[in-house]
Amino acid sequence: MNSHMQEKRGRRLGITYSAPMGLWLTFFFLVPLCIIILYSFLKKGLYGGVEWEFTLTAYRQMLNPNFMRVFLRTLWVAALSTVITITLALPCGYAMARSRHQVMWLALVIIPFWTNSLIRIYAWIAILSSEGFVNEALKALGVIGESLPLIYNQGAVITVLIYMYIPFAILPLFTTIDKFDFQLLEAARDLGASKPESIFKVLIPNIRSGIITAVIFTFIPIFGAYTVPLLVGGKDSYMIGNIIVDQVTKTRNWPLASAFSLVITVVSTIGVIWMMTSTASERARLKAPAQVVDANGGIS
Amino acid sequence: MSTSPKVKSAAVAAKLKKQPKKMRLEPSRLVEAPKGTPGPYKLPKNQMFQDHRKFGFSNIMLVLVIAFLFMPLFVVVTYSFNASRGMRWTGFSLEWYYKLFFDSKELWRAFANSFVIAITSSIVATFLGSLSAIGIKWYKFKSRSYIQVVSFLPMVLPEVIIGISMLIFFTAVKIPLGMFSIFVAHTTFNLPFVFLLVSARLEEFDFSVIEAARDLGATERQTLMKVIVPSIMPGVMSGLLMAITMSLEDFVITFFVSGPGSTTLPLYVYSMIRYGVSPVINALSLVLILGIMLLALGFRRFLKTIAASS
Amino acid sequence: MGKRLKGFDVTVKDVSRAYGNFKALDDVSIEIRKGEFFSLLGPSGCGKTTLLRIIAGFDSPDNGVVLLDGKDILPLPPDKRQVNTVFQSYALFPHLSVYENVAFPLRLRKVPAGKLDAKVRDYLHLVQLDNHMDKKPSMLSGGQKQRVAIARALINEPSVLLLDEPLSALDAKLRQNLLVELDHLHDQIGITFIYVTHDQSEALSVSDRIAVMNQGKVLQIGTPYEIYESPATDFVARFIGETNLFPAVVKQCDPYEDYYMTTLDIPALGTEIKVTDYDNLAVGQHVSFTVRPEKLKITGHQPTRVGKDINLFRGIVEEPIYSGFQSKYYVSLENGTVIKVIQQHANYMDEGPDIDWKDQVFVSWSAEDGYIVEVVDS
Ligand SMILES: Nc1ncnc2c1ncn2[C@@H]1O[C@H](COP(=O)(O)OP(=O)(O)OP(=O)(O)O)[C@@H](O)[C@H]1O
Ligand SMILES: [Mg+2]
Repeated sequence: MNSHMQEKRGRRLGITYSAPMGLWLTFFFLVPLCIIILYSFLKKGLYGGVEWEFTLTAYRQMLNPNFMRVFLRTLWVAALSTVITITLALPCGYAMARSRHQVMWLALVIIPFWTNSLIRIYAWIAILSSEGFVNEALKALGVIGESLPLIYNQGAVITVLIYMYIPFAILPLFTTIDKFDFQLLEAARDLGASKPESIFKVLIPNIRSGIITAVIFTFIPIFGAYTVPLLVGGKDSYMIGNIIVDQVTKTRNWPLASAFSLVITVVSTIGVIWMMTSTASERARLKAPAQVVDANGGIS
Repeated sequence: MSTSPKVKSAAVAAKLKKQPKKMRLEPSRLVEAPKGTPGPYKLPKNQMFQDHRKFGFSNIMLVLVIAFLFMPLFVVVTYSFNASRGMRWTGFSLEWYYKLFFDSKELWRAFANSFVIAITSSIVATFLGSLSAIGIKWYKFKSRSYIQVVSFLPMVLPEVIIGISMLIFFTAVKIPLGMFSIFVAHTTFNLPFVFLLVSARLEEFDFSVIEAARDLGATERQTLMKVIVPSIMPGVMSGLLMAITMSLEDFVITFFVSGPGSTTLPLYVYSMIRYGVSPVINALSLVLILGIMLLALGFRRFLKTIAASS
Repeated sequence: MGKRLKGFDVTVKDVSRAYGNFKALDDVSIEIRKGEFFSLLGPSGCGKTTLLRIIAGFDSPDNGVVLLDGKDILPLPPDKRQVNTVFQSYALFPHLSVYENVAFPLRLRKVPAGKLDAKVRDYLHLVQLDNHMDKKPSMLSGGQKQRVAIARALINEPSVLLLDEPLSALDAKLRQNLLVELDHLHDQIGITFIYVTHDQSEALSVSDRIAVMNQGKVLQIGTPYEIYESPATDFVARFIGETNLFPAVVKQCDPYEDYYMTTLDIPALGTEIKVTDYDNLAVGQHVSFTVRPEKLKITGHQPTRVGKDINLFRGIVEEPIYSGFQSKYYVSLENGTVIKVIQQHANYMDEGPDIDWKDQVFVSWSAEDGYIVEVVDS
C-alpha cells in the first residue's frame, strides 16, 4: 500500500524532473526533424520555403549523377579519414591511459579541441596556402621557387578533417582503455602471445565499445562536414554538407536540402543503433544474465 | 655482532631432519601480521604491469599527435607577433594586438554576443539537463526511454542537419532569427551533453544514501539539496564547462540560426577568413588559446569526466 | 589425467631491482629444486610479486641472473619462457568463454582442432570445470575463476608454475579446500611450483620449502618445520606463528650435560632465563629471545617438577580467550610484562576453563623450548 503510493509519487517526481528537458528537446529538436521529413515531400517555393503540394521531386533530384558523385566522395572521404583517425588515436589513447600524467595529456588534447574550430581551420589555411607558412619557409630555404599547391584539394580536406576530429576519437578511446585491466596483456604474453598478438587478441576485443564510439563520433560529423571542405577544399572536394547548405542559401531548394538531411539522419541513426546494440550486447556478454537488463546503452 | 645464532647445534639439527617434510597447520598458529611491516602497497592500476624502462611505440605516437594538434596553433601564435601581414617574417611587433584591443569594435561586440549566449544557454542547459538526469536515474516512469533516445540523437547528428532543421523550424513557426534563436539552438545542443555527464556521475552514486537521508528525517527537498546536489556537483560542473566551451565554439549551427545584429565570435571570424584575412585573427588566437588554457587548468579536476562524455 | 610433466629447477642469483631509490629486491638468491613446491612468504610489499614477475619475464632485474634448468632466461621475452603464471586477480580474458580462455595458448600455437579440443577438455576436467565450459568468466564464482586460471596456465605444459597469491581473494573455507587441491595437483603433475603468499599458514601447510622475505631481502630459506621451529631472525619468529619475543643479552654460555646451556639476561622479564643448545654465542652479545605461546605451561598451582632447565614465572591472568579447542591467556608477570600462553584442550575440560580472569597462575617452559634469534630489524 505504502510502497505503491511511493512508487506513484516517484513516477510523478521523475516526470516532473525530466519533463522540462524532454519537452525542450521534443519541441526544438524532434519537431524540426519532423518538419524536415515533411518538407522533403513538398514542392520548392520560389524564394525558399515550400509550397504545400505533395511531390517526390526532391528525391528524384537527389539521384542526379552529380549529387551521387558527391555522395560517394563524401562516403569515401569520411571512411578514409575515420580509419586514419582511429589508427592514430588508438596508440594515443593507450599511452595516455597508461601514463602517470593522465590529466596533463588530457589537457593537451582538450586545449586544441576547445580552441575555436574556425581559428584552427584558419591556422591550416595560414600554413598551407600559396603564401602560407610552409610555402614561404620552403621558398626562404631555396627548396622551391614556385608555391606548391598544398591547399584547396582533397588532401588538405582530409588532413584538416583528421586534425579536427582526432580528439573525438582519442577521448572515448582513452576512457575505455583506462578501464581496461592491463594485467590481461601480461597474461596473454605469459601464455605465449607475442606483443602484437596480445594487442589484437586481448586489448582490441576488450575495448570494442570504445572503438565503436570513436568511429561513430568521427565518422558521422565528418560525413556531415561543411566548414572544412568549404574553407580548405577545392571544387573537387565538395561534400554533402556543402550541397545541403547551398540548397538552403543559394538555390533555395528547401525540399532537396531536407531530403539530403533526412538521408544523413537515417545513416547516422543506423550507426547509432549499431553502436548501442553492440555495446549492449557486449555488456550482456560480460555480465551474468540476471544483471543484463539495462536498456540504457548509453555511451559513457 | 660477531656470531649469529642461526640454527641450534648439531643435535637439534639432526632432530629437525627427522621430522616429516610437511606439517599440517593447527589454526592456533595463525597470527596477526607483525607490527611495523609496511602496509599493502597499491600502485595505480594503469601503472601496474608495465616495464618503465621502455619508451614504446604508443608513447611516440602520442607525442607526435600532440605535436600535430599544437603545430597550427603554434604557427598562428608566432605570426601574431609578425610586423607584416603575410607569412614572411619581417620583425617583431605588437601591432596586431594593439589593433585587436583598441581597433576592433565589431569583434568585441561579436565576442559579447557569444559570451551572453554561452552563459545563458549553458546555465539553462545545465539546469534542465541535471534535473532530468536525476529524474531518469532515480524514478521509473514510462517515457524514460523516449527521453534517453531524444537526448542522444542530437549528439551524433551532424551539425549541419541540426542547423538546417532549426532554421526551417524557426522560419516555419515565425520566430525571428537573432539572439533568441541562437540561444534556443545552443541550449538544444548543449542539453544532451550535460544530461550525459550528470547521468554518468549518478551512475556512481550510491542509491542507499538517499534512503538513509530520508530515514534520518530529511524531506524530499532537503534530500535533493543537501545530499543529491553536492554529490553530483562534479558532473554538473563538467557539464556546465562543456556547455560553455561548445557554445563559444559553435559555428555551423549558429551560422544557420543567426540574424542581423546577432553575429557571434565564430561568425565574425568566419567573415574575416572569407572576406579579407587580417593578422588580428592571429592575435585573437593567442588570447582565446590562453583563455582555454586557463579554463582547462582551473577545471583540471573535471577533465577526466569530460573526456568520458565526448 | 595421469600425465606427469617435467619440472625444472630455478636459480635466482644476486637479483636486485630498484624503483628509483627504493629497493624492491635487494640481492636475492634462491635455489629452487626440480618439482619442488616452493613458497615465497612475506608481508605485503616485501617484493614477492616483483621477484615472480622477474622470473616470468614481465620485469627485468637491475643485476643478477635467473636460470631455468641451468640456462639464463633473462634475455627471453615472457612468451618464450617455459614458465606460466596464475595471477592473483585471475586475469581471465573477459571476452572469451571458459573454454576459449583455456584454449587461448593452443590457438596461438595453431594446434589442430581435434587435438586442441581433446586437450582443453582434459585440462578442464583436471580442474573439475567440465560443466562450465561455455560460461563467460564473469558468471563464475571466485573459486571457479581460480581453477580456470590454473588450467589455462597449465595447458602449455610449463616446467614451472608461478602462483601469485592465487587464493587471496577467496573466503577462508574455500581457500583451505583449494589449497589442498593445489597440493594434490602438484603431486599429480610434478612440475615446480613457486607459490607466493603472505599467509604463513598457507605456506607452512603445503610447501616443501619456504623463503621468508622482508623488505626485499630473503631472511631464511628452509622447510616449514625449520622455519617454524628454528627461526633465523626475530622478524621470522614474529612473522611465522605467534610468539613471545624479548630483547636479551647473553650472560653466560656453558656446556651442560651433553649440550650447551645459555643464560640470558632479559630486562623485560626482570630476570635471567635459560636456553639450551647454542654453542656459538659470545658473552655480552645482544640477541632476541623467543618462545612460542603453546610451549608455555600454565597452572594454577606451583608446578611440581622444578629443575635447572625450567623457567618459571608467577603472574596474573589479564585476559583469558576461550576458543573451543584451545584457550589463550595474556598473563601479566610480576614486573608488569605481558606474556602470551596458549593451551590446547586435548581432553575434556583439561585445565581450560579452570583458569579465570585475575587468577594467580604459574607460567613455565623448558629451556629446550626457547630460541635465540638474530636481531635484524626492530
Ligand atoms: N612499478 C613500480 N614502481 C614503483 N615501485 C614499485 C613498483 N612495483 C613495485 N614497487 C615497490 O616494490 C615493492 C614490492 O612490491 P611487490 O609488488 O613485489 O610486493 P609484494 O611482496 O608482492 O606485496 P603484496 O603481498 O602486497 O602483493 C612495493 O613496496 C612497491 O613499493
Ligand atoms: Mg604481490
